[in-house]
Amino acid sequence: MRKLTGSDILIRAYLVLFFFFLLAPLGVMVIATFNSSRFPTVTPWLGTTTKWFDALFNDPQMWEGLVNSLIVGVAVVLVSVPLGTAAAMVLDNLHRQARTFVYAVMVSPLLTPGVIIGISTLVFWDRLGVKGGLHLAVIGQSSFITAYIMLMVLARLQRLDRSQEEAALDLGASHPQVFRKILLPYLRSSLVAGGVLAFFQSFENYNTTLFTRGTDITLTIYIASKVRTGLTPAVNALGVILIALTIVGAVGYEIMRRREVARAAAARRQAELEEIPANALVIADAH
Amino acid sequence: MSRDVSLDRVTMRFASYVAVNNVSLDIKAGEFFSFLGPSGCGKTTILRMISGFMNPTEGRILIGGEDMKGNGPNKRPTALIFQNLALFPMMSVADNIAFGLEMRGVDKSVRRRRAEELLELVALPDAADKRIDELSGGMKQRVAIARALAVEPQVMLLDEPLSALDLKLRQHMRAELRAIQRRTGLTFIYITHDQGEALTMSDRVGVMSRGQLEQVGPPSEIYNEPATAFVAGFVGENNVFTGRITEVAGGQAVVETGDGRLIGRNPRGIRVGTQVVMLVRPERLKPLAVAGPTPENPNVLSRSVDHVDFEGAFANVHLKQPDGAKPLSMHISNDGSLTDLVGDRVFTVGFAPQDALVLAANGA
Repeated sequence: MRKLTGSDILIRAYLVLFFFFLLAPLGVMVIATFNSSRFPTVTPWLGTTTKWFDALFNDPQMWEGLVNSLIVGVAVVLVSVPLGTAAAMVLDNLHRQARTFVYAVMVSPLLTPGVIIGISTLVFWDRLGVKGGLHLAVIGQSSFITAYIMLMVLARLQRLDRSQEEAALDLGASHPQVFRKILLPYLRSSLVAGGVLAFFQSFENYNTTLFTRGTDITLTIYIASKVRTGLTPAVNALGVILIALTIVGAVGYEIMRRREVARAAAARRQAELEEIPANALVIADAH
Repeated sequence: MSRDVSLDRVTMRFASYVAVNNVSLDIKAGEFFSFLGPSGCGKTTILRMISGFMNPTEGRILIGGEDMKGNGPNKRPTALIFQNLALFPMMSVADNIAFGLEMRGVDKSVRRRRAEELLELVALPDAADKRIDELSGGMKQRVAIARALAVEPQVMLLDEPLSALDLKLRQHMRAELRAIQRRTGLTFIYITHDQGEALTMSDRVGVMSRGQLEQVGPPSEIYNEPATAFVAGFVGENNVFTGRITEVAGGQAVVETGDGRLIGRNPRGIRVGTQVVMLVRPERLKPLAVAGPTPENPNVLSRSVDHVDFEGAFANVHLKQPDGAKPLSMHISNDGSLTDLVGDRVFTVGFAPQDALVLAANGA
């Protein structure tokens, strides 16, 4: 093995530190879940337990917050994915100046602090007589999550081979048919990824939700209130469950993706092999 | 059923740029017609206007005598095969081929049967359930042809569909496209910058330059009787002698060139005193036994060999020109007489007056 240079050592040290800062708090949080101490802590270790999971499942407020967060998350997906897709399609067809302007308008909520989005959403709708609640949380969150979707869909749209749409038109498809049969399947991966992103953005949102929620509580609001009124490891137990779900989802997705890549590569090799007789035929014809 | 296509004084402008300039042309039903020209000559614009993706700024496009104005690409009896084929990667081969039928609301079982028939026609019988990314280049080509044929177009439009294939496959697909055209009897309009493709496949070729049709005719006429210096230069190789006409008689012209006094055909009747080019194909330049010009062999040059490219069936002998001008090119058939071509040997070469074509110099 070749000798490590100074910069190799620096890079490795950096990576180790990077992942330590990223993962260590999660590790501590997970371990603390199984400590029977009343406070979420690793030291002193007062005995191993799973009672905080029981405590979590028996907390009605937690359940209410979770259900509300799920409702808001799904609603945000339903609002922001179609809107973001439409915005991306408009933007993709605009000429340069109009495009720059619309782009700036669409992206500006991403650069605005969530608190300000929350307050301005509340003030705006209050004037129109709409009070705070889950519906307003959906609107407030969607106003910036839509921009994420737009950026993701736009990135994929810009890589679209326009001749695909033209070929469909040429074969007799109407414009709605082109959208349904060509564009939507092409955008599918972006839409799914965008939907997942939108859901998690909504699920973890606190700032905007805090101002728009009215009297309803979501999971983040519930956790924050616990921090103020006395945090117990039951919240850690919730974190452990969410981490476990995330890992299972990511690993499952990766396994499926690898299988798909391997299958496509094998099929292509097969096709290249089958091409050889066709070539041989040409050579035979030439004689 | 196939239809004829007419361009009636068609002009296409993009802002101040004229892509197609006042082109009129009748393409017969069942004809294999090629537009040949360098990139930017307007041939793709013509194809896109016929298929309906663009509307001409002026003039009309008629298919089967019917003005196509206002009919989008999905309302025309044409099918376009794209340069990059534009197959749908998210659909199976059969679904690609049946796409046009699906859009027309044809039953699923009928679509499937039709797709299988067409796969049979393009010699891909077992590919129906394959995915597009499982196909090789030649197979994709065949699927694209089958997909276009599925909608039973009356005119097939092909935009350089062979350019992505390797040489062997390209030659094979030429023959196959021609065979499919004969079998279906459809009007084929083919776009290419490859003279070999245009000459081997077409009934007629239209050579384009800078938005205008320079010449329309059968391949042999395009090659043997080019109407302009551009056509002569774009289709095939030439030895070019520039000079001024000093004498005109009996359909021939005497041209005073830097290589001396040369005699060639003057089919356009160009007048004495005009600046012209005299064009001689490399296969018409021949080694001669005589030393100087005679009444039977008026065009004689003595040149030493610059280098020889051995091409297999023939050798391309490059002969040094005075003043370091572009060497002359002479094709000598590999018929057994090919020996002794290397080194500083001096050749006496010549060409008959009927093998030299006198045309107005470019831009004159």
